[in-house]
Amino acid sequence: MSDKVPGDLWENIEPLLLRVERPSRYIGCEWNAPHIAGEGTAVVLAYPDVYEVGISNLGLNILQEVVNDIRGASCERVYSPWLDMEREMRSSGVPLFSLETHRAVSTYDIFGISIPHELTYTNIVNLLNLAGIPMRAESREDGPLVIGGGCGTANPEPLAPFFDLFVLGDGEETIGSLVRLASEGKSLGWKRPKLLREASRLAGVYRPSDYEVDYRDNGMIESIRPAGAAPRRVRKRTVDIDEWLYPRLPIVPFCEAVHDRINVEIFRGCTRGCRFCQAGMICRPVRERSVDRVVGLVDTLEDRTGHEEAALSSLSSTDYTMIKAVVKKVSGICEQRRMILSLPSLRMDGFSAELASGLELGGRGSFTFAPEAGTERLRRVINKPISENDITEAVLCAVRGGRRRIKLYFMIGLPTETDEDVEAIGHLVFRLRDIVRREGIAPPMFNVSVSTFVPKPHTPFQWVKQETLESTERKQGILREILRARGINLSWHDSRMSTVESLLARGDRRLADVVESAWESGCRFDSWSEHFDYARWEGACEEQGADPAFHLYREREPDEVFPWEHLDFGVDRDFLYAEYQSALKGHTSPDCRGGKCVECGACEDQGAGPVLAGNWGS
Amino acid sequence: MSHSEFSRTLMLSARRAGLPLQYSGKYRPRMKVSLSPPLPIGMTSECELVDFFLEQYVSPAQAEQALESSLPEGIHVVRCRLMGSDAKPVGKLIDTAAYRVQLPPDAGNEGDWRRAVEIFLGMETVRFERVQPRRTRIVDLRPGVHTLEARAGASGYGVELFMVLDDGTRGTVKPSEVLKVLADSAGSPGESWRDALVHREGLFVRRSGRLVSPMELGKHRPAV
Repeated sequence: MSDKVPGDLWENIEPLLLRVERPSRYIGCEWNAPHIAGEGTAVVLAYPDVYEVGISNLGLNILQEVVNDIRGASCERVYSPWLDMEREMRSSGVPLFSLETHRAVSTYDIFGISIPHELTYTNIVNLLNLAGIPMRAESREDGPLVIGGGCGTANPEPLAPFFDLFVLGDGEETIGSLVRLASEGKSLGWKRPKLLREASRLAGVYRPSDYEVDYRDNGMIESIRPAGAAPRRVRKRTVDIDEWLYPRLPIVPFCEAVHDRINVEIFRGCTRGCRFCQAGMICRPVRERSVDRVVGLVDTLEDRTGHEEAALSSLSSTDYTMIKAVVKKVSGICEQRRMILSLPSLRMDGFSAELASGLELGGRGSFTFAPEAGTERLRRVINKPISENDITEAVLCAVRGGRRRIKLYFMIGLPTETDEDVEAIGHLVFRLRDIVRREGIAPPMFNVSVSTFVPKPHTPFQWVKQETLESTERKQGILREILRARGINLSWHDSRMSTVESLLARGDRRLADVVESAWESGCRFDSWSEHFDYARWEGACEEQGADPAFHLYREREPDEVFPWEHLDFGVDRDFLYAEYQSALKGHTSPDCRGGKCVECGACEDQGAGPVLAGNWGS
Repeated sequence: MSHSEFSRTLMLSARRAGLPLQYSGKYRPRMKVSLSPPLPIGMTSECELVDFFLEQYVSPAQAEQALESSLPEGIHVVRCRLMGSDAKPVGKLIDTAAYRVQLPPDAGNEGDWRRAVEIFLGMETVRFERVQPRRTRIVDLRPGVHTLEARAGASGYGVELFMVLDDGTRGTVKPSEVLKVLADSAGSPGESWRDALVHREGLFVRRSGRLVSPMELGKHRPAV
C-alpha cells in the first residue's frame, strides 16, 4: 500500500472488507495504479458501475493518466460499490472513498463522473449521496465541482440538476484546462461561483444552470434560453488521437475484468452513418491513428501489463483504412508474445478470409456479427446496407476458420418495421445454418441476440416514437415461435429495461425528479437484469406526475425544440432530418471515407477534416 | 483476494517479468503453472507456492529478481527454487497447512478456548455441516486436524490459535470450520470471532508424520 496520505480512511474500510463478496474491488494497489502524494489539485474520477465494468473503461483510464501527467495535480478512481459494500458503508458511516488513497470523495477539488448510458443514472445519484455531497448543484456551497462526461452527455438533461458542469466530446484537452483552472483558482483564492463561472467559459464545457428551459402547456419545450454570457449552443471538443498516445500504463486489475486485455484505439468516430447509432453521429469526424503508433502501443503495453490479449478497438474496426496492414503487423507481435488478437466491432461486409487468418489465434470461441435487421429493405432504412451475400460470406469465413459459435445481433422495433421483417430474422438464421451445412461443415451454435431499438438524440431517428412494450413483446413472441430449434439460442434484452432507457434518452430536465425518486425507492444497477425493478420506475413516474407516454410514444414534430437543442455535437440537424426522410424512403447514404462528403456538418463544425491513416481501400 | 484473482495476478506478473514461460494448447494457449491449494478470501499468507514451467534455464536468483519487480504491491517473492522437469507439481504435492488465528479481544477468554480445544482433540469424530454452493453435507473434521493449540495473545489482543490442518491432496479442512466448532464449544459471545485474522504460516507435505516444506523436498537430488 502507498504511504498514507492525511484523510486516509483505510482503518475504517478494512474491517468492512471481510464481510463483502469481493474485497479486491475496493483496495486499489493494482499493478500500474498511480502513487498519489495527495498534494495539489485533487481529482477523482468515477464510473457508475461495479469495479469489473468500470476498470475496463478506456476513457477513464486515459483521463486519469492525462491528469496525473499534469504537474501539481493528481487523479484517483472510484467505482460504484456493490450492494453488499454499500450496506456495510452506510451502516458503519464510511463515505465514498477513492481507491488510491482511500480519502473521502467530498474532500477533492474535482469529482468527475462518467455517464456511459441511461441505466446508470440511479447509480450516479447514489455516488453523490454516498459521497455526502448535496444532490442538487444549486445547494452546493463547497466541496468538489461535480463534472459529467462521456457518451451520456449527448443529452444529459435528466441529470442536469445534479451536475455543476458537463464536458462535451473528447475529454483529453478539456480535463487539462479544467484542472489548470482549478489550480489557478485555488492559488488565487477564488470562491466556488467564480470558479464555476470561469470553468463554464472553457471550450467543450456546458454548465446546465446557465440555461433556462421554457415549456408550453402541452409539455413541449418552447425555448432554451442562455443566461448572461453563455453561448446559444455549446460545442463539443475533439482531439487528434495521434497526439494523445494514452493510455501508457493501463491498470491491471486483480480480478478478471469485463475487457481483460490491452485496448488500443485505432480510430475515433465513424463515417458509416448507421441511422440508429448515436456514437456514429456524435463522435465525428473520424480520426484514425497511424499504423506505426498502433503497432508501437501494442508492443509496449504488453510489456507493461502482461495481458494475454490485445484488442484493436473502434466503432467499426474493419473500416480502418489500413486494417489489413495493421492486423498483419499486430498478429505477428501477438504470435511472438503468445497473445490473442481480437478485433471487436467487425462489419460483415468488410470481413474477409485474409483478415480472418490474422485473427486465427483467436481460435474456436465465439464470433460476433451485427446484421441488425432481417431484411435488406430494413437494413437500407437504417443505412447499414449489408447484403445477404455479405452475411453468408462472413459467417462461412468464421466457420471455416474453426469458430464453433456465431453470435448475431438484431434489433426489433426499428422504424418502418413490419412483422415480415421480424420473421425474416428467423428465416435468415435458418438459411445461414443450411448454407454452412451444405459446405459439409457441422453448423456452429447460433446465439441470436435481439434487443429493442431505442431512438437516441443527435441521430436521424431522434424524431421516431418508441415501440410500445406490448408490440415489442408480441414481436418477440413471433421470433420465439420461429427460432425454436436445436443449435439456435435466442436471447433478448428485457424490453422494460429498454423502455426506461428510452424514457431517459430523450428526456428533459423535468425527469431529474423521476431519477431521484427511483433512486430513493431503491433503484440501483438498473442495467443488471437481476436488480432492475420496472415497478419502482413506474412508481417514480407516478409520484412525480411524469407522463412516460409523452416522452416515449410520441412522434416528434419536425421543428420541435429538443431538450438537447443547445448542445452541438457537430452533425447538423438539417442533415439528420434529411437522413430520416431518406430512411423512410429506403434510400441509403454513402460512407464519407470513400471521398464523397455527405455534408453532415461535423468537419466544418470542428474545423478539421477526417484524419485517415491511409488511402481508402488500400 | 480470491484464489482466481491471485493466480491470475501471478501469471500476468510472470509475463511482465519476461520469464520464458511454457504454454500448452493450440487455439487458446494456456500458461503451464501449478499452484498450492487456494487461500480463502480475507486471509494473509507467507507461504503460497507456484510452479512456473519454463522453456529454458533461468537462475533462481535471476527469476526471483525479475518476478519481484513485476508483482503488485502487497505480494512478494519469498524464494525461488529450480525444480527438475520431472518433479511433482506443487498442486499435486501439498497436503497440509499451518495457520495462526488471531481472535478479537471480545471473543472470549483463554480458559474457555483452551477447554474447547481439549474437547475437540478428545473427540473421535467432529461432525460439521459443510455448506457449499451446490450441496450441503455432514463431514468429520477430526481426522483432518493434526495440531490444535490455544495460547494467550499479546496484551491488548485476543486469544491466539495455532492449527495444522489437511489442505490439498488428502482433503481440506478450513480454519473457519474449526473456528466455528471451537467458538460454539467455548461459548464465545456474539459473532465477533468471525472477524478473526487468519494467517497461513506454512504449506507442507507429510512424510511419515513429519512436515516437510516443498522448498526442501528432494534437495539431495540434482535439479536438472
